[in-house]
Amino acid sequence: MLKTIMIIDDEEDIRTYLTAVLEDSGFQTCTPEEEENVIESLQRQQPDLILLDIMMPRRSGISIYRDLRTTSGFEYIPVALISGIEKASGFFSGEFKTLMNEMNLKPPDGFIEKPIEIKQLIDVVEKILETKGGAIESIA
Amino acid sequence: MSLSLENLNVWIKEKLFDAVPMGIAVIDRDFNLVLANRAFEQMFGRWSGRKCYRVYKNRQEVCPQCKGAETFQDGIPRVNEEVGYNKNGMFTRYIKHTIPIVDNQGKIPYLLEMCTDITETDQIRREYQLLFDQVPCNILLIDRNFNIVKTNARIKEMLGDLEGGYCYQGLKGLDSRCMECTARQTFEDGQLHTGHHVWKTKDGRTVHLHVITVPLRLHDGSFDMVMEMAVDVTETIRLESGLNFAHTFLKTLIAASMDGIIAVDDQANISVFNSAARKLFGFEADQKIATDDIMGLLPKGVSDLADFSSRHLYLPDTTIKTTDGQKRPVRLVGSKLMMEEKSLGMALSIQDLSEIKNLQNEKLEAERLAAVGQTVAGLAHGIKNLITALEGGMYMLNTGFGKNNLGRIEKGIDMLTRNIDRIGLFVKAFLGFSRGREINAALSTPGDISREVVHMYASSAQNHGIKLSHEQVSEIEPAPIDYESMHECLTNLVGNAIDACIVSDNNTRLKVNVRVFEEDGVIIYEVTDNGCGMDYEVKKKVFTNFFTTKGLGGSGLGLLMTKKIIQEHGGFIEYESEPGQGTVFRIRLPRNRLPQPPVDEESITATASSQSQNLSNPWNGEERLESEENK
Repeated sequence: MLKTIMIIDDEEDIRTYLTAVLEDSGFQTCTPEEEENVIESLQRQQPDLILLDIMMPRRSGISIYRDLRTTSGFEYIPVALISGIEKASGFFSGEFKTLMNEMNLKPPDGFIEKPIEIKQLIDVVEKILETKGGAIESIA
Repeated sequence: MSLSLENLNVWIKEKLFDAVPMGIAVIDRDFNLVLANRAFEQMFGRWSGRKCYRVYKNRQEVCPQCKGAETFQDGIPRVNEEVGYNKNGMFTRYIKHTIPIVDNQGKIPYLLEMCTDITETDQIRREYQLLFDQVPCNILLIDRNFNIVKTNARIKEMLGDLEGGYCYQGLKGLDSRCMECTARQTFEDGQLHTGHHVWKTKDGRTVHLHVITVPLRLHDGSFDMVMEMAVDVTETIRLESGLNFAHTFLKTLIAASMDGIIAVDDQANISVFNSAARKLFGFEADQKIATDDIMGLLPKGVSDLADFSSRHLYLPDTTIKTTDGQKRPVRLVGSKLMMEEKSLGMALSIQDLSEIKNLQNEKLEAERLAAVGQTVAGLAHGIKNLITALEGGMYMLNTGFGKNNLGRIEKGIDMLTRNIDRIGLFVKAFLGFSRGREINAALSTPGDISREVVHMYASSAQNHGIKLSHEQVSEIEPAPIDYESMHECLTNLVGNAIDACIVSDNNTRLKVNVRVFEEDGVIIYEVTDNGCGMDYEVKKKVFTNFFTTKGLGGSGLGLLMTKKIIQEHGGFIEYESEPGQGTVFRIRLPRNRLPQPPVDEESITATASSQSQNLSNPWNGEERLESEENK
């Protein structure tokens, strides 16, 4: 069965790019409607993995992450963060870390930096699906 | 006819008795007055047939220890001081000589008593003694051998009984005469001499005295005694030395102070102008300074302090002029010097704030740099997105060719084209931002700027059914603000507020209010809307990167630029927002952090002319673009 990956990113061009890359690598993809609540679209279709752009000003990536980790039924879906700011940079990860500590959130299952290296992306995705695949089936 | 010797004897026998000014009486062994002269009668009144004790003393019986009785007994003449009552009943003192009259057999049938009234003399003597003892001065009489003949009560109290001893011993505890002996000098030349002496009291205290020595002359001008009058000046000396100390201390304090201290007396003469003050104003160390010179260099409040009834003046952030025409920032505190409702002048303390101002400027500079640092981080993110999109376009193109997928190829070209355009926009915006605009601060009326922005958006707001208002309650003094830049900030904020209302799904009447006011020396612009508000994440990101919620359209620099402009003015920008309820953006411009106004304070430069002259403004083209996007 083909694994489904949900792509959440504000930029249309990046969504197009990621969709093409992932489909070419043998995955199915879905993207929630822009104005739609992410949780609502999950209820329609649960993916095997969510790729989330954390620096999305419009829909605030961090609050989506929080929702994903705290909504019962969906907290087991693995989430990989995509970000244009390096993990190591104090500016961003400091805040993110603080938020995670404040809200007691599970850390992300993977981290992909922009500009996106296709090989890195596929590696991260495959690695996560390998280890986490079993967990989702047990809930369903 | 002349008086012969025989006649003289008769006169003496007959007239002398009554002519003598002494009271003379004769009493018998029963104390009856048998004979008395006119003077006696004048002293004691009627005497005939009366007893002596009645006449002299108003007594009914013989006086105890009667001197007359004793003389009757032993025949020895006596002299006594007696007290009695005169013919008017007044108290009288008199000297009485009692002389026995002896007959041929040696018996004493009568006494002769002679009285001299010494009441007045006695009174004078008493007064003298009182003066001698009670005068607030130590008095002693010293003879030519430097023995103390007499001291007054004060000396007795202070030093004990010194009479008879040597003055140098009793007063100073010395074994020989003092070097500076005023008594010796007076004995030598008979003149008044003064000196300063130090005595030791009987309880070991040291006393300082100012001494005046005068000769105690007899009627023929000779003298064998001098009178020394010594005034205790110990306390005065102590006070004097205390005063000297206080004076020296104060002088040193004033001289050493790093703050300028100036004092002016009530005749408007300068009484204190310490070296720190000289440095502040640029006066030379020995230059003469007149009050008029200095009044022109001080801020206006000082002359008010001098003229009017106010007692204190506090100017925490003011300027003084120096002698070479420069301005110097200072803190000035002034006080009128009052003593019992009378003005004695005024004192000023001036603290140089140049150092602090420099530090403040450095802090502003550091804040500016920090803002730039944040910008760079945000920039990096924006560029990465662009690069990703471009790479995406290339991927689509390449894989499209590989799979012979025309749709993909078209998509790829589309992505490349679009994002290459965006790079252009991006770079231009960034260059404009990083080059920075120099703030052209000129005295502007804050209310004018906000009013103009509101006017600019009036029709747009109306078209969207948004109530846009401007609020200014009281006059705000002109301030050094870059009119154009602040206009841009307010345009940005008002534009955002209107957009927030447009996307809002509030059912209530949507409004945007722009309020301008001044509080505690801070000029404040408030832009309030009741539109969609910001949630937690938007709030966290609002200033810190190339942030826009307006999709691909905005370059995201608006708020960042606004923040930079406000920082250039030394101001602060803050906001409060609740999702679904609305947002307030507040620009705070403390007056004392605003950039220095141009040299000519009096004129308010025309804002239109400053706008048109800003030719080096890299934003000139982009500004039009921004405002189109904002609509």
